[in-house]
Amino acid sequence: MTAVSNDRDHPVDDLASYALGTLEARERSRVDAHLAACDACERRLADYRGVIGVLPLALPAMPPPAAAWTAIQAAARLRPPRVRRWRTVLYAARWPAVAAVLVAVVGWNIALQRELAWYARGPQVEALSRRPGRMVILKGVAAPAANARMFIAADGGHGHMAITGLTRLPKGRTYQVWFIRVQGSPLVGGAFDVDTRGRAWVSIDPPANLDDLRTVTVTEEPVPGSAVPTGATLLDGRL
Amino acid sequence: MGRAAAGDIPADPDLLRRMRQGDESALEMLYARYGGLVYSLAMRIVGDPELAREVLQDTFLRSWDGRATYDPHRGRVAWWLMGIARNGAIDLLRSRPHQARLRERERLSVDLPADEKDTAEVFGLRRDVMNALRTLPTVQREAIELAYYGGMTQTEIARVLNEPLGTVKSRMREALDRLHGLLTPAMKRDVEAG
Repeated sequence: MTAVSNDRDHPVDDLASYALGTLEARERSRVDAHLAACDACERRLADYRGVIGVLPLALPAMPPPAAAWTAIQAAARLRPPRVRRWRTVLYAARWPAVAAVLVAVVGWNIALQRELAWYARGPQVEALSRRPGRMVILKGVAAPAANARMFIAADGGHGHMAITGLTRLPKGRTYQVWFIRVQGSPLVGGAFDVDTRGRAWVSIDPPANLDDLRTVTVTEEPVPGSAVPTGATLLDGRL
Repeated sequence: MGRAAAGDIPADPDLLRRMRQGDESALEMLYARYGGLVYSLAMRIVGDPELAREVLQDTFLRSWDGRATYDPHRGRVAWWLMGIARNGAIDLLRSRPHQARLRERERLSVDLPADEKDTAEVFGLRRDVMNALRTLPTVQREAIELAYYGGMTQTEIARVLNEPLGTVKSRMREALDRLHGLLTPAMKRDVEAG
């Protein structure tokens, strides 16, 4: 017998009643809860069930009535084993089912990683926002539903931009951020694509001297990005 | 239990597998093997040949059509069938108030069979179980039988025996502990024998 010695910690007496099916509902629930966390009592219960299972062997043998088998046979013919049908289906479908579950898990994991990556930048931006800097609002131009917010540290060199409302790009295309200067050619601020919900949170490399900047724009360009803007201005914001 | 030494006699789990595939002859073999035992148990609980036959038929039909499924981790096929039969018989008993009153009036007698040889000798454990039950003090055996065959709750048993609830609980536990100690070697031999 599995050793369970401390009656205060284990419902030893109730285990026997539980195995015999004589516990009232409340006690049964209490034992159920204990069994869920106690391997020793679970083993003891299995011991009891084994003993109880053989008790009928002590009964005097009685031949069943002859008509019983005829009735069972007739009823069996009207009730084909239903286990066979669903088990056969499950057996045949087991590998496709496993594959589907794996695909679902991998897909969920990728989505979760993206989601986490999105939110993980929150603290960085929050830290950045406490530094002296400048907030730039970009409004949709060729993409009217899109907008973005950019924060650039006053001392330059660091920035973040949150974008929403852009469509996901096909392979070989990228969105590119441009700093349009008062004089001189545009400077590249970064490149990104959006997620399935049209969002992105990107790190920006602004120039050190912000006084020379006029606007920030976003265009669509071929990967890995262009030297100068070639696509239509999708977003635009004044510095 | 339920499996002869000869290799051409299918084991109980093989019969269940064949039954799942719709093999009626497997059901017939299982019935031939355990029908008597199930009927004896049902008779012991419900005490009426017609009701016992109802339990017998329902037990084997449940094993056939998949309403009851066998879990090899919970013990032998025979024990599983006994469990189905017992539950069915107890349900039947509880659904008939006059029967319930009857069983409360009449204590279930301890009527272990004489040590005769009969068809049930095919179950190697039978003699061990009978001997083990005979070693129990009457009060313990009575509590076990009221619980197992009478389908009573422990509170009902305490009332019928006019004993404190704690005493009834202890008796049932002591009885099962003792039976386990006595029967474990025989049960292991039975399992190893297949």
